[in-house]
Amino acid sequence: MTTLQRLLLASAMAIGPVATGAHAADLVVGFTLDADTLDPANHRKRETETIIRNLYDGLLTRDANMVVVPEIAESMTQVSPTVYDFKIRAGIKFHDGSLMTAEDVKFTLDRVTVEGAMEGQTSPRASLMGPVASVEVVGGDTVRITLKEPWPILPAMLPNQQIVSKAFVEANGSQGIATSENGTGPFRLVEWRKGESVILERFADYYGGATDIAPVGPACVDRVIFKIIPESASRVAALLAGDVHIINELPAFSMAQVNANAGTHVMTVNGTRSFFVAMNLEGEYFDDPRVRQAAAHAIDKNLLIDKILGGNAAPIDGILSPDAFGASELPSYGYDPEMAKKLLADAGFPNGIDIVMDTEGAFKDTAEAIASLLTKVGIRTTVAVGESAQLTAKWRVQGKAPKTGDMYFSSWGNGSLDPFDIFTPTHRTNDRGNSAGYANPAVDALLDAAATELDVAKRAGMYREAELLINADLPYLYLWVPQDIYGVSDRVTGWQPSADSRINLHDACLK
Amino acid sequence: MSLGKLIERLLQLVPVLLGVSLIVFVMMALTPGDPVQIMIGDQNITPEQEAELRRGLGLDRPIVERFFVFLGNALQGDFGQSFYHRRPVADVISERLPATIELSLVALIVALVTAIPLGVLAAIRKNSIFDKLATVGSLLGVSLPGFWFGILLIMLFAVQWHILPVSGRIGYSSEIETITGFLLIDTLLRGNLPAFWDAFKHIILPAVTLGLPMTAILMRVTRTSMLEVLRQDYVTFADAKGLSRRRVLFRHALKNALIPTVSVAAIETGSLLGGNMIVETVFGWPGLGRLVVESIFLRNYPLVQAAVLLYAVIYVLLNFFADILYTVLNPRVKL
Repeated sequence: MTTLQRLLLASAMAIGPVATGAHAADLVVGFTLDADTLDPANHRKRETETIIRNLYDGLLTRDANMVVVPEIAESMTQVSPTVYDFKIRAGIKFHDGSLMTAEDVKFTLDRVTVEGAMEGQTSPRASLMGPVASVEVVGGDTVRITLKEPWPILPAMLPNQQIVSKAFVEANGSQGIATSENGTGPFRLVEWRKGESVILERFADYYGGATDIAPVGPACVDRVIFKIIPESASRVAALLAGDVHIINELPAFSMAQVNANAGTHVMTVNGTRSFFVAMNLEGEYFDDPRVRQAAAHAIDKNLLIDKILGGNAAPIDGILSPDAFGASELPSYGYDPEMAKKLLADAGFPNGIDIVMDTEGAFKDTAEAIASLLTKVGIRTTVAVGESAQLTAKWRVQGKAPKTGDMYFSSWGNGSLDPFDIFTPTHRTNDRGNSAGYANPAVDALLDAAATELDVAKRAGMYREAELLINADLPYLYLWVPQDIYGVSDRVTGWQPSADSRINLHDACLK
Repeated sequence: MSLGKLIERLLQLVPVLLGVSLIVFVMMALTPGDPVQIMIGDQNITPEQEAELRRGLGLDRPIVERFFVFLGNALQGDFGQSFYHRRPVADVISERLPATIELSLVALIVALVTAIPLGVLAAIRKNSIFDKLATVGSLLGVSLPGFWFGILLIMLFAVQWHILPVSGRIGYSSEIETITGFLLIDTLLRGNLPAFWDAFKHIILPAVTLGLPMTAILMRVTRTSMLEVLRQDYVTFADAKGLSRRRVLFRHALKNALIPTVSVAAIETGSLLGGNMIVETVFGWPGLGRLVVESIFLRNYPLVQAAVLLYAVIYVLLNFFADILYTVLNPRVKL
């Protein structure tokens, strides 16, 4: 048979699923972004970490409720305010069959924290490990992390680091580990089709994962495929067509469609990203607290959450998510347009003010809804859409650079759910995310003290106190924490979305 | 064309590429947005750690120095490391380029194969219902946003009828062993017909979406030039000689009418590469267009610089190719 004849024959067989070597249980995830690299120490993207997390395990991990539990570590002991010991589980195998030891853990953490440890380069993830002074192996099976100063969120941050094989990295170098892997995770890499899909298969010798997260044992599905579909309309279509089983970042307006479709449903989980409007305290109008209060009373959060976010968000009155450490009930500036008008008049603007609110294209609709509510009370707001990088350069400036602009509708993620990662950068004087230009020495002192306070109750109390101070000063309009929304096939069982936006597929099954 | 002319044209590439390098470099540097701040995102970081990150990316050095380092390395074929992929930019681009070229070529074929017959038919049935429909159709073809049209095709062919896949270049279950990087060719060379068929089904919707505006343009060009040719004396003469209508149309008229179509097609192929960005996003096509746009947003300077240079080379070569084609089709023209 000539090639042409075979071609024609194949064409004649035409419309049917192509199933060369398709496995019985292939779980396909329609995912927004490809991994930048497979090297756990050499990236800065959440999406990259999501893919890597299925190949590699960490010392610690989080369960679906964000509780930090041991994974490769058998136990964790805090020896002193600055010293942590991690006893490493015995018998864990890398994907090449070699045994993982405490030396591999030390090598991994050194690679992230020591300057120039990656062939002269420093890991871009060094800042996620805080003030590490040294990492040592003690007594063969224990790894000791010594800090330069107390840093109570070390356990909350450790799930961000995955353990690599020392021998593998030394043999293959940083370039080798960027495109191949030798982890200890529930899946191993079959093929990475860059920009299109990452194909993984079950690692039969998997040690089982965190003992605190059932089920323990090898993964349920044969293969996992992260199929990269950046466009959300196409991701939804792929789910509806049955091409994929789980999609992330389902737009709120597609929820009804996914729920109405036979065989698919929506799953949500409380997210960790706080949305707010920064008011420029160094600007023309918002230096007056009455104008800020007027803006707060102008906004009907519940209406916006209902109408624009489909009800999928929790309102906030401070920067912290209700699920975050140290979060507490705060006084609320209720929706009261008359009060807003009065406050504005008291501030010397009985005829209202004209301002501009910056935001990214993705948030234009929401920003316009906020603007219309503000305009109703006399804060006549025009929405200016900018590109993320350009707005970052304008509104997120470390140091004392004078800010221009009136308002900035934006958000800040808090994957660790610890205030250190969100409260400090957005509210400490001159910090890099302090878009409002807020400066309050009392808040700074509380944030600095809380960063190193080891007494959990005391630390939570400090954040509570700081939250009350900012609630009164009101440098931002605190809005909401949206839920992460997933579209899921009814065939998927055992999987739960996680608040840190990672998609861990060890427990997922297909029926 | 003489060898001397060929070398002269190739040498013209040098100032073009130097100019493009300088313009891209300066534009990226002047555009607001700090790659380091974007990379850190929503994290707490000490100023020292931030400075170390900046040093690692080579962004601590003055811009003039960075430009000459870039130029010096580029001359040796080293375009630096992608900030995000942490691998040589040349590697990252070469992984994605074949997908873009393959899609563009198939879109070009789709456009030529549909536009030329439709254009000819519209010309010989001038002012008929068909001609009017073709006019409206080509207007729609140029004005329909690729994004909308692509999603519409997906909803019909993938979601409603389950005939074609939603996205990607080939199914994850098909084995790929690359030779040329073009999956349609590689799967055939390997004799893997199911994989070929899989790749073929994947490329249909993106190629049609990408090729649609070009089809519309080429159809109009073909129609107009065909009408012009049909008015020529030699066509009237051929008709008068009693040659069959078919022979007059296809042997005498079409050959000359195609000259503008072919040269427009060659030049428009460059815009196909640009148009890829949207189509690649809608169909999850793992090409270069999507990567470049993502890189622009992230201020991934090395990748953007190298990719824009590559686009410039392709554009210049396509123009060059169009010129050659023109001389081949029309011997009266000399380069």
